[in-house]
Amino acid sequence: MNGGALLQGALSGLAAGGVYAVFAVTLTLMSRLVRIVNFAQAATGMFAAFIAVWFASRLGMPVWLATLAGIVVGALLAALIGWIAATWLSEADLSTRSAMTVGPFLLLMSLSYIMFGNKPQPFAPIFNGPAFTVAGVVVSWVTVITVSLAVIVAVASALVLRKTTIGTKLRALSDRPTTAELIGISSKPLAIGVWAVTGAISAVTILIIAPTQSNDAVSLSMLIIPAAAAALLGGFKRLDLAVVGGLLLGLINGMVAQINELALVRSFVPLLFIVILLLWSQRKEVWDAAR
Amino acid sequence: MKSRILGAAALTAAAALVLSGCAGGESGEGAPIKLGSVNTISGPATFPEASEAAQAVFDQVNADGGINGRMIEYKITDDKADPATATASARELVGSDEVVALVGSASLLDCEINAKYYEQEGVRSIQGIGVDPGCFSSPNIAPANIGPFNDTTLTMLYGSEELGLENLCVLTSVIGSTGPAYQAAVDRWTEITGKEPTFVDDTVPYGGADYTPYIVKAREAGCDGIVANSVEPDAIGLIKAANQQGWDDVTFLLLTSVYSESFAAAVDNSAAGVYVPAEFYPFTEDSDVNADWKALMEENDITLTSFSQGGYLAATFLVEVLESIEGDITRDSVNQALSDMDPIANPMIAYEYQFDRIAAQDYQPGGWPVTLQSGTNAWEQAADDWLMIPAS
Repeated sequence: MNGGALLQGALSGLAAGGVYAVFAVTLTLMSRLVRIVNFAQAATGMFAAFIAVWFASRLGMPVWLATLAGIVVGALLAALIGWIAATWLSEADLSTRSAMTVGPFLLLMSLSYIMFGNKPQPFAPIFNGPAFTVAGVVVSWVTVITVSLAVIVAVASALVLRKTTIGTKLRALSDRPTTAELIGISSKPLAIGVWAVTGAISAVTILIIAPTQSNDAVSLSMLIIPAAAAALLGGFKRLDLAVVGGLLLGLINGMVAQINELALVRSFVPLLFIVILLLWSQRKEVWDAAR
Repeated sequence: MKSRILGAAALTAAAALVLSGCAGGESGEGAPIKLGSVNTISGPATFPEASEAAQAVFDQVNADGGINGRMIEYKITDDKADPATATASARELVGSDEVVALVGSASLLDCEINAKYYEQEGVRSIQGIGVDPGCFSSPNIAPANIGPFNDTTLTMLYGSEELGLENLCVLTSVIGSTGPAYQAAVDRWTEITGKEPTFVDDTVPYGGADYTPYIVKAREAGCDGIVANSVEPDAIGLIKAANQQGWDDVTFLLLTSVYSESFAAAVDNSAAGVYVPAEFYPFTEDSDVNADWKALMEENDITLTSFSQGGYLAATFLVEVLESIEGDITRDSVNQALSDMDPIANPMIAYEYQFDRIAAQDYQPGGWPVTLQSGTNAWEQAADDWLMIPAS
């Protein structure tokens, strides 16, 4: 095993890492702003992307229009789940609200089986092929786009939260919900707005990556697991660490696949990542408090 | 109180008598012939078409008056790819329903879990699609297909001997206990050709999202052919990862599980081509060989896949055997007839079907090479005859 192969492996994992990073950023946003870990995040994107393919292949829409329509569907779907959370679970704690999202996660997977069958969908690629080569290592367009998307979403979210009125209101609502409500900030439309935006981002992400990888309902929806592991690096609070977490997980995954001796642990990389982060985050706790 | 207990006991006894009377009456002349199948219809990989196809065959037989006037009653169960449910499904069919044989099953784990039980109960199964290694090692199970392990040897033979590829890399996703069986399939190829694969990686994740790291590894190793046992979505993932790397001169040697219209529609760039030894006569081009099967499937709105070919064949074979039975059709008479049957030649498969010989794996497996070339989105035949595994 030489360094070149490891570098090659690391770069090959970057495409997946970019995807984990985008989803980790949206998960972090949701957790910070609307107190929820949205397990249906990737499933929403998956369903929206399948709808887009359906629009294009069955209704004969041009691909660009079908793609836009898919993104709108993603936003509306997420908004609908958000509306349910804001209407009936506004007072519930984070665990209850997060547990609720398992419902739409399973529903969307089943619905996609019923509507589109269990066969992979024929996605037309938006970005395709290698972008450039670094030291003999091919970096694909999808890698460039997903990594950029993760950084752009993280930076844009940080800017919106710091520099705009809506951002201020959102921060007020997430930090001091009762005080914010009392001074007249209406939480429901803002919360649903956050849901819609993350739904649209999920749809865009899946529409970009689905044509270039396995694209059945299960493998796309299950992207939520490594994404959640990545978001854990920032404790579901810090956007920058969520991006780093996603990319790091992708790099590690790619490198581990090159090392035959580590064959057994390959499938457990996200799990090991989670365990190590949890242990690290608990390192200063005394026994009684940590229990 | 005592009289109540006595009354209840009497009622129970009466009910038992009536029920056993019913059961006795069922096996008599004119009662339906009970058949069943254990399938993975929901779960990580699904095979619904095989039993649907078998059902269509039996419906047609019933519409034509049944077997010597007796109707076929066919029960399809779903094991959800779950061992406990698979065990329960087999006991429901064999124990409670008392089926005379199992036919058209297609499951991820039926054979592995239930083969011993079938042997114990003296019931035989013609799997529509044998998937796990257990389907190819029991005297009571003789699938209509050659199975993924023979398929692996065949696809490697085609790659090395027909296409002249020199560096085959084997990427295997292992489900359950299939690892050693795939290794044996690769070893068989080595035995026949004297060649060794460039590398074998049997830790490729099943249902993974991005296969780029494995493709990069294969490219670095200098592979010119990738042998993989992936199911549709994973195989698409592998091919697309190669597309993303701009790796356009690699050949994919895959198994019958990817031979479908939807796979062809989803793969636009297949690099130097995808090659599959189809386990049944290719169905993507019209031919007389498949005409009857195709008409029946279209009439019943069943997807045209290799799985439905397997289910159709399994049911057709059994119908022929049932028709040969003189006297009562029971589990024993069916077993006897399956042992005594003359080999059935059907142009949809490469070899003659004879239950005991297939169950003992004492036959020469073959597949029909088909290929999917870049930009065509359609399968076409790559040969004009069956490719057989030479007897070693």
